[in-house]
Amino acid sequence: MDESRPETVVVIDDDRAIRLSCEKILVRSGYEVACFENGALGLEAVADRKPALVLVDLKMPGISGLEVIARVREIDPTAVVIVITGYASIESAVDAMKAGAYDFLPKPFSPDELRLVVGRGLEKRRLVQEARRGELERELLKRRFVTFVSHQLKSPLVAVHQYLEVLKRLGDTDEVRPKREMWLDRCLERTDELTSIIEDWLTLASLEQASFSRTREVVDVRSTIRKLVEGYEGTAAERSVALNADLPASPCPVSGDPTCLAVLFDNLIVNAIRYNRPGGSVTVRAECRPGEVVVSVADTGIGIPESCLPLLFDEFFRVGGRGEGSSGTGLGLPISRRIATEHGGVIDVQSVEGSGSTFTVRLPRHELEGAPDVAGADTALEEMSLP
Amino acid sequence: MPGDTKVLLIDDDEDFRASTRSLLEGEGYSVSEATSGREGLEQALADRPDVIVLDIMMETLEEGYGVTQAIKFQERFRDCRDVPIVMVSSIRETPDERFPMAGEVDMVRPDRYMTKPIDIPRFLDLIQRVTRGRRASRV
Repeated sequence: MDESRPETVVVIDDDRAIRLSCEKILVRSGYEVACFENGALGLEAVADRKPALVLVDLKMPGISGLEVIARVREIDPTAVVIVITGYASIESAVDAMKAGAYDFLPKPFSPDELRLVVGRGLEKRRLVQEARRGELERELLKRRFVTFVSHQLKSPLVAVHQYLEVLKRLGDTDEVRPKREMWLDRCLERTDELTSIIEDWLTLASLEQASFSRTREVVDVRSTIRKLVEGYEGTAAERSVALNADLPASPCPVSGDPTCLAVLFDNLIVNAIRYNRPGGSVTVRAECRPGEVVVSVADTGIGIPESCLPLLFDEFFRVGGRGEGSSGTGLGLPISRRIATEHGGVIDVQSVEGSGSTFTVRLPRHELEGAPDVAGADTALEEMSLP
Repeated sequence: MPGDTKVLLIDDDEDFRASTRSLLEGEGYSVSEATSGREGLEQALADRPDVIVLDIMMETLEEGYGVTQAIKFQERFRDCRDVPIVMVSSIRETPDERFPMAGEVDMVRPDRYMTKPIDIPRFLDLIQRVTRGRRASRV
């Protein structure tokens, strides 16, 4: 919900004194208020302004209060309706609740009573809206999960299955033999693909379970990055992408699981190479700042559409499905985010479609105990990290 | 024999295309391929196939439905309107389940729907049935 905009309350009552006092009290409490003397005008305003809450007098000339309640519920089921009732009989309040009112306010009422009832009504509305949002999110995740299973997991299996079945039909002739060799190789590649998707998936699941039970040691991320960059030089060169590491002279110490941290940066570097273009570059930069170690992976690749950015780190989300030549599992970024979070850090992305993306990871810097002298600590760590 | 019957295969999975192509060529069909909905539509115009075998999830999630809709309703593809479309997908949800609103499914409905992995004898039988009438009318 937009917190900066005041919530609108519509008051429908034929009693001018009630309208004036409601307006005065509620405006002072920070609401936007519109008052109407009969149901017809009030309903028009409800349809027009979509108020969060409607106060309705039960006994009015023209359209009855009960009918107003029912019509408001039709126009906007999320609007909260509260009835103002002059004759505080139980029956009329019960009828109003049956028609869909949330609460009632017997006349005469004090400013505090009005504020209390309105505040309670709006709080209820917020809870309902939150629950609904959660439901939508779960629905979306479920849909994405089904997509993930049918596309990412089932596609390689289907491809292998059909190769094998067609090979069986074709039989063993000289003509078929070269094709068979090629297809069997493809079968192996596709099963490898499937295995790596499942591995990633399991990694993600294990990260979700065992929080903070992992090994913690002091890791100089410079050496992690150096190893990764060396390892990917060949892949980058094959794609005519220049892979550079820009690392400071002094250590960048963080406390964490060295394997997990390597996976975190590995995913970012692989993506930066994979979603790049020939002649492009990838720069992995590490910086040691007061209190934090900042690692960025910048590419000159295809970039990410703005509409996809909010979903980028979500499970089972992939920009643009499975195109040819990109064989990602769709789980790399969720894994990286999970690892960053587990280490008390954050991961963020900036991207311009068509010109490239920069992923930035901020991790808490490890401060050596009893070593206030930063330079000394650095030296100690440098020695430690020597092979 | 299917003779010069033409099949257009629209699917983003190169392995599925390779094996399906061999399968169909083994039965005597001539096969052309496209890797995306957009490419497939252009190819349909150029090739005038006798049947289109179409995947759903390609670069975008419901690309196949975009193809059926374009062929059914866009003026540009009116000459392809009577080409039978056999949709073949890993998605278990049938077109009727995906578009439950009355009339909605008619906008995107293929002529036949099969889930992957396909039952090969049934698939070949289906291709033969939907193309039989067309060859006769062309000759």
